[in-house]
Amino acid sequence: MVDMKKFKQNAPAIPILVWFGILVGIPLIFVVILSFLSRDELGNIVVRFTLDNYKRIFDPIYIKVFINSLFLATLTSFITMIIGYPVAYFTANLEKKKKALAILLIMLPFWISSLLRTYGWIILLGNTGLVNNLLIGFNIIDKPLSMMYKFSTILTGTAYMLIPFMIIAIYNSVDKLDRSLLEASYDLGAGKWKTFFKITLPLTIPGIAGGFTLVFIPSLGLFFISDLLGGGKNIFLGNLINSLITKGRNKPLAAAFSVGMIIMVLIVLFIYSRLVKRNTGGADENSII
Amino acid sequence: MDKPLLSLTDVNKYFDDSHILKDISLDIHDGEFLTLLGPSGCGKTTMLRCIAGLESINSGDILLNGSSIKDLPPNKRNVNTVFQNYALFPHLNIYDNVAYGPRIKKSMNEADLKVRINEILELVQMTGYEERMTHQLSGGQRQRIAIARALINEPDILLLDEPLGALDLKLRRYMQTELASLQKQTKTTFVYVTHDQEEALNMSDRIVVLNKGVIQQVGSPREVYNNPSNLFVADFIGDRNIKKVKVIEKNGDYVRVMLKDNIIDIKCSTNATTKDCSDDYAILAIHTDKMSISCSEKPNSLMGTIISVHYSGSQIRSQVDLGGEKVAVIEYRSNDCDYKKGDKVYITWEESGAILLPMEEGFKERSGGYEEV
Repeated sequence: MVDMKKFKQNAPAIPILVWFGILVGIPLIFVVILSFLSRDELGNIVVRFTLDNYKRIFDPIYIKVFINSLFLATLTSFITMIIGYPVAYFTANLEKKKKALAILLIMLPFWISSLLRTYGWIILLGNTGLVNNLLIGFNIIDKPLSMMYKFSTILTGTAYMLIPFMIIAIYNSVDKLDRSLLEASYDLGAGKWKTFFKITLPLTIPGIAGGFTLVFIPSLGLFFISDLLGGGKNIFLGNLINSLITKGRNKPLAAAFSVGMIIMVLIVLFIYSRLVKRNTGGADENSII
Repeated sequence: MDKPLLSLTDVNKYFDDSHILKDISLDIHDGEFLTLLGPSGCGKTTMLRCIAGLESINSGDILLNGSSIKDLPPNKRNVNTVFQNYALFPHLNIYDNVAYGPRIKKSMNEADLKVRINEILELVQMTGYEERMTHQLSGGQRQRIAIARALINEPDILLLDEPLGALDLKLRRYMQTELASLQKQTKTTFVYVTHDQEEALNMSDRIVVLNKGVIQQVGSPREVYNNPSNLFVADFIGDRNIKKVKVIEKNGDYVRVMLKDNIIDIKCSTNATTKDCSDDYAILAIHTDKMSISCSEKPNSLMGTIISVHYSGSQIRSQVDLGGEKVAVIEYRSNDCDYKKGDKVYITWEESGAILLPMEEGFKERSGGYEEV
């Protein structure tokens, strides 16, 4: 029997479920189906079941792409965390008016196209870019430094693009931290640093984990940053899928890679939810999933 | 009296422009249960936080065992606080919460600590809860853990900031007795903050009544209840009829005053000198529950008319008109007669229940708890 009360309670969620079903669920099903199909010499999709696409994923060349992407995403998450935590901590401890301004400044880049902001890095870091021009102009160097088209350039661009997510996630958990817990820690004999490591840090782990997830997942798929700043030298999952669809005309294989990426994301989300549950005993209402 | 454990001298505290604590001087003795009592915003919590070191003071000094602690951070003062919301660490279980202080200070090894935690949990009757998380406990249980977490550090003074405020009435009454016996058992000095007079009267050895950042009176529960030093204390503690009276003449310890047309001889408050009561006008304060109503005339009784009678089982609350002055009377057993609205009755009171206080500015008459109705 249908529980009417429960149904009524959950009724407001129906529109959003329908929305997700149509815009996310159905396309996803297509992607999964597509990943089991074949193509002919011209790149047309042929409805013939095969596991070849999934076998090809495990080609050592492609495995390297997976590892590359994981490496970039992990490193990006760590860098944004290390830079983002102090910023978030500092922001959360500001007085009310300054806090609002700081949050506005952190969110400001979102108002500008991310593509434009990525081009901005080229203008800044290129051989005839701003940084090199200044350094040469002040006679600090004679030849332009080569700062473009490296792994570190991609890492910089990706971290720059995603750091607001990390800051906001950590900010939220620092901001809602009960100040009396810190006072209790001082009262019980702990100094500032001990209090930070024993109280503040453990209690903001859900925020760090949330930020980690919010940075990790998109950095797997941000193909245009590595295209523009990496010069196509480093291949990541996003670029691979992009080029398989556009240049390679191999949609089934691209679909298989997409499914692989989705599985990676699900693993990350699973780890996140376990971490948050363990840390708050399941009592954290601000968890992102 | 021996040397005070903690003494505050001329402590002043400002928040921005507001003057929260005004020239507070107070000695706290070893082993006593001292209560800071006052309405919200009177500065009692700020005073507690200044002792704990969570707030700095703007002037004056705080001495603990004779040495100044005013510039020490909270972690360097041997006092511990039980916070109003308990402030238990949600990511640690009960055992680790209680172990927090000793572990930070590395004051004992884990084996000794285990023994000590067992003892202290037994003391607060929370044995067997070591592995629980804080959100699995009820309000009363959290309260006990907060006390255990503070007491395990063997502080010179335990500061308690309205710790019973969040509990329901029945549990609050129970915890009052528990706290008082815990204090006697551990022989720890307790400084307890509350706005609840019943709580203060119930538990304390001494009560400090605060209002607007100024100490109004320091004394035993009996002293502050029976002999308030001023109008504020008289009004804040206990239920009194407070009336303006005209002073006619002074006669030794007694002062003859006029309440409307009634002439009354009354003793001046022991906290006020008779000189204070010798202005033209003074304040008469009579405990509503120390008055009684009788149908026949008695010596020193005042005649009046019953305005209303409310019977509520254990007590009878009546309002009586004394020739234009309304007073409230609470009786705990029916007297020699059954009076009802409109009856002519005679009012008497125990001598100790009535005091005369010097006139104050901003004085407002009231007749017991009825005034607001």
